[in-house]
Amino acid sequence: MAFWPIALLIAGLGLVAWLAARAKAAAFARAPQRRAHSLPSYHGWYVALWAAIPALLFLLAWTNLSAGLIRQTVLASPEAAALPDFGLRRQAILGEARGLARGDIEQAFQPQARQLAPVYVDAIRFYSLIGLGVAALIGFAGGGWAYTRVAPAFRARTRVERTVMATLLLASLVAVLTTIGIILSLVVEAARFFAAVSPAEFLFGLNWSPQTAIRADQAGSSGAFGAIPLFWGTIFIGAIIAMLVAIPLGLMSAIYLTEYARPVVRRWMKPILEILAGVPTVVYGYFAALTVAPAVRDFGLMLGLPASSESALAAGLVMGIMIIPFVSSMADDSIAAVPQAMRDGSLAMGATTSETIRKVLVPAALPGVVGGVLLAVSRAIGETMIVVMAAGLAANLTLNPFESVTTVTTQIVMLLTGDQEFDSPKTLAAFALGLVLFLVTLALNIIALRVVKKYREAYE
Amino acid sequence: MSDVARTARPPTDWNAAPMQRRIRRRYAAERRFRLLGLAALLLSAGFLVFLLATVATNGLSGFSWMFLTGSDATEPARVGIWGALKGSLLTMAVTFALAFPIGVLTAIYLEEYAPRNRWTDMIEVSINNLAAVPSIIFGLLGLAVFLNFMHLPRSAPLVGGITLALMTMPVIVIAGRNAVKAVPPSIRDAALGVGASRIQVVFHHVLPLALPGILTGTIVGMARALGETAPLLMIGMRAFIASPPGGISDPATVLPVQIFLWSDEASRGFVEKTSAAIVVLLVFLLAMNGIAIYLRNKFERRW
Amino acid sequence: MNALAKTAAPAADAPATPPKMRARGVSVFYGDKKAVADVSVDISKEHVTAFIGPSGCGKSTFLRVFNRMNDTITSARVEGLIELDGEDIYASRMDVVQLRARVGMVFQKPNPFPKSIYENVAYGPRIHGLAAGKGDLDAIVERSLKRAGLWDEVKDRLSESGTALSGGQQQRLCIARAIAVDPEVILMDEPASALDPIATAKIEELIHGLRGRYAIVIVTHNMQQAARVSQRTAFFHLGELVEYGETSEIFTNPKVPRTKDYITGRYG
Repeated sequence: MAFWPIALLIAGLGLVAWLAARAKAAAFARAPQRRAHSLPSYHGWYVALWAAIPALLFLLAWTNLSAGLIRQTVLASPEAAALPDFGLRRQAILGEARGLARGDIEQAFQPQARQLAPVYVDAIRFYSLIGLGVAALIGFAGGGWAYTRVAPAFRARTRVERTVMATLLLASLVAVLTTIGIILSLVVEAARFFAAVSPAEFLFGLNWSPQTAIRADQAGSSGAFGAIPLFWGTIFIGAIIAMLVAIPLGLMSAIYLTEYARPVVRRWMKPILEILAGVPTVVYGYFAALTVAPAVRDFGLMLGLPASSESALAAGLVMGIMIIPFVSSMADDSIAAVPQAMRDGSLAMGATTSETIRKVLVPAALPGVVGGVLLAVSRAIGETMIVVMAAGLAANLTLNPFESVTTVTTQIVMLLTGDQEFDSPKTLAAFALGLVLFLVTLALNIIALRVVKKYREAYE
Repeated sequence: MSDVARTARPPTDWNAAPMQRRIRRRYAAERRFRLLGLAALLLSAGFLVFLLATVATNGLSGFSWMFLTGSDATEPARVGIWGALKGSLLTMAVTFALAFPIGVLTAIYLEEYAPRNRWTDMIEVSINNLAAVPSIIFGLLGLAVFLNFMHLPRSAPLVGGITLALMTMPVIVIAGRNAVKAVPPSIRDAALGVGASRIQVVFHHVLPLALPGILTGTIVGMARALGETAPLLMIGMRAFIASPPGGISDPATVLPVQIFLWSDEASRGFVEKTSAAIVVLLVFLLAMNGIAIYLRNKFERRW
Repeated sequence: MNALAKTAAPAADAPATPPKMRARGVSVFYGDKKAVADVSVDISKEHVTAFIGPSGCGKSTFLRVFNRMNDTITSARVEGLIELDGEDIYASRMDVVQLRARVGMVFQKPNPFPKSIYENVAYGPRIHGLAAGKGDLDAIVERSLKRAGLWDEVKDRLSESGTALSGGQQQRLCIARAIAVDPEVILMDEPASALDPIATAKIEELIHGLRGRYAIVIVTHNMQQAARVSQRTAFFHLGELVEYGETSEIFTNPKVPRTKDYITGRYG
């Protein structure tokens, strides 16, 4: 069914109901005898809700129900008698006919689909009309019933407000549903993967080469799904190289901004660092691949190390730059939260500013800084585009930063782009990797927030 | 007091040579530390300048009328950005239409009405966790639920928009809660005192006052969604699309994905086109962030 | 009034030894606002000097002039002459780090560092390089804690955090920390205002014990306290020094009506 006519129909119905009920309520609101409980517009809303919501609910149910009815009607038609009994061909023909009928595709490869298409068109139109008709009836019935209840003593406002509360609660459930959706989709698909590949092999295997599993009848079709090289690559880039860049630069920037910089400098430099955080990761990835990676490779070759054009160092460096603002803003907050009395106490002993920072402020702010670094690590290991564009695909277990390594997120992208069969272990492996990534980032975040919270409490 | 307390130390001679040397050393360390901080700050800002300069010098020559009005093509000379831009706009429209109302309503519910119980805790934990989940996980969710389970159209702004909305919603909720929290209780008391219902208090008084803060948070969240690539790759928005999408269920691509696709092309001509596309994306993001900062400054209110 | 303040300072019957610190015509500004106006005071080594006055009268601001803690406030500006042993402490050749080691400070709210008790006391000697070795440092810590009257309470838990002590103990720890660098002057900014009466009594007892070894300046809004611990009292009002002299004199026979009004509780 087309979206706009239905939306218009329902909205129109609601509007009519609102106007009618408001007019009725306005009439008795003017009457002098007694004050009505609710303002006229609340009566309007009450009736409009009754006119629109049941009709909408019915239509929602009908779209799901009618698909089956349409299918049955089509199969019962004489044109469908010639269809093959079972299997993929039958499904393909039906699918194409439906596509033709709905205008999704312009041409069908199966001749039978072309014959079936008009039947589909008729069936869809028939059931759409029925649906619309019933929806309109329900709308009128609901609106009419509600309209009869409009009276001075009727508590329309209370009813409307109850609906609003229900809507608020419903909206807040979306977050819970999303979380459940994420966990379910990851766990279910990962479970299917672990039915084919043992978890032990996945978690502790040293060999990753899922490429062989493209076709089921190929030799060595099961592929190798040992994810240790991926985990190592992720840690190497996100938790080691990126942090070696981001922690000193971010921390020192924050220290300079909070303890040394004049207010003018602070006012200008903080937004500039924030812009660094706002640059899309695909831009960083492009920057890494186009500018940084060749320079890193040349440098590696100059040192006489084996270096490839996609290297852990290039990706890690750029990721570190991306993370600087996270580290610096967390450090900034933590250092600013150390009470002024600590600074005064140290300065009054004759400590220099840098001694105060190194021996009093940073140790005092350490839990907050550590929490911030954990959040940054979680951010870095979940980051995708930089590593996809600059880290490479080779699952190497290497300590040489000039060599190519691959990461969990890179592999998820590689496994799921292109048109694989959805059930192959290759695509399911992506969900297993996703599950690991989800659990690790979740754990890091929980720990980080605990640490930060404890730290805040210490100074409150 | 014991003996230790009584034994007087000779007073410290601050002018002795070793003490003076020590103090000079400490001052040198102080200067070094300060310079180190300045260097870190300048280096960080320098990266940004270098990145922007690299992109700008590479990209400005890539602009032409055709680039601004065309769509993807196989030859770098004939490619355009309009198709991807339109895809981005459609996707953002879907994201906004979903994330903004849901986010604002959730923020209001949690801040104004939610009872303190386990159910509310669960909602809060969910939101805080969602805000920290890597974006690619949302892509996996979109693939598994919207494409494989609900059979929504692949590569479409509709699915991309829903996926990004789930990602943006927590950002709006968190910003919205802070904005609602910042409205002083005295205003609520005043409204309740003249007989307003709790719903009227929120929709007539609290929400209008909190709106600038909510909008700022929304724009920041939308800017992040606009620059997002990974989840959209998961739901197939990486196809070669030679004409701009007509609606939210047509196959489309978006700006960041277009940048990613072009950056993979071997042909030299794509370098300038990729950079030009980045310039377009950054202009949009800077404009959005500029609006957010403007709103924040204009409506910032100290109670 | 200013003329009176100027004459009042030398009038406080001059001690035999030259004063440890001298302030002459000192004014402090926060931006355009004058917080302290043209104050002259002598601080002698033998006495405890108390600064009293209603809150906001500039006494704490003035106290922070003596070890240049006002330098940490960007908008603050100091005019006038302050000398330590005849040396101008605002002169460009004066080293702030050294100055603050010689003029220690104890703050209104106890502010131990979030480190162990030992580390808190050892902090000053460490940064200034005062201890010859580990044993020497231990001795300094022990002596400082003993002088601050805290040793018996903490000697078995020196490695515990300084922030875990009670408020009164924390403040005595801060005093021990200040003593550890062996300063010549100790500035105390309402050191007992955040403490209960028993802890306050301990701090006052401690100040008695420290008298003579260090020049002590204490800011307080508690007149009884000033009367109990000090030998010299300066009364501030609205940024001006109203009267300065022997504590007993100030409390029993104030020369200026405003001082009398304050002391008898007419305002403040």
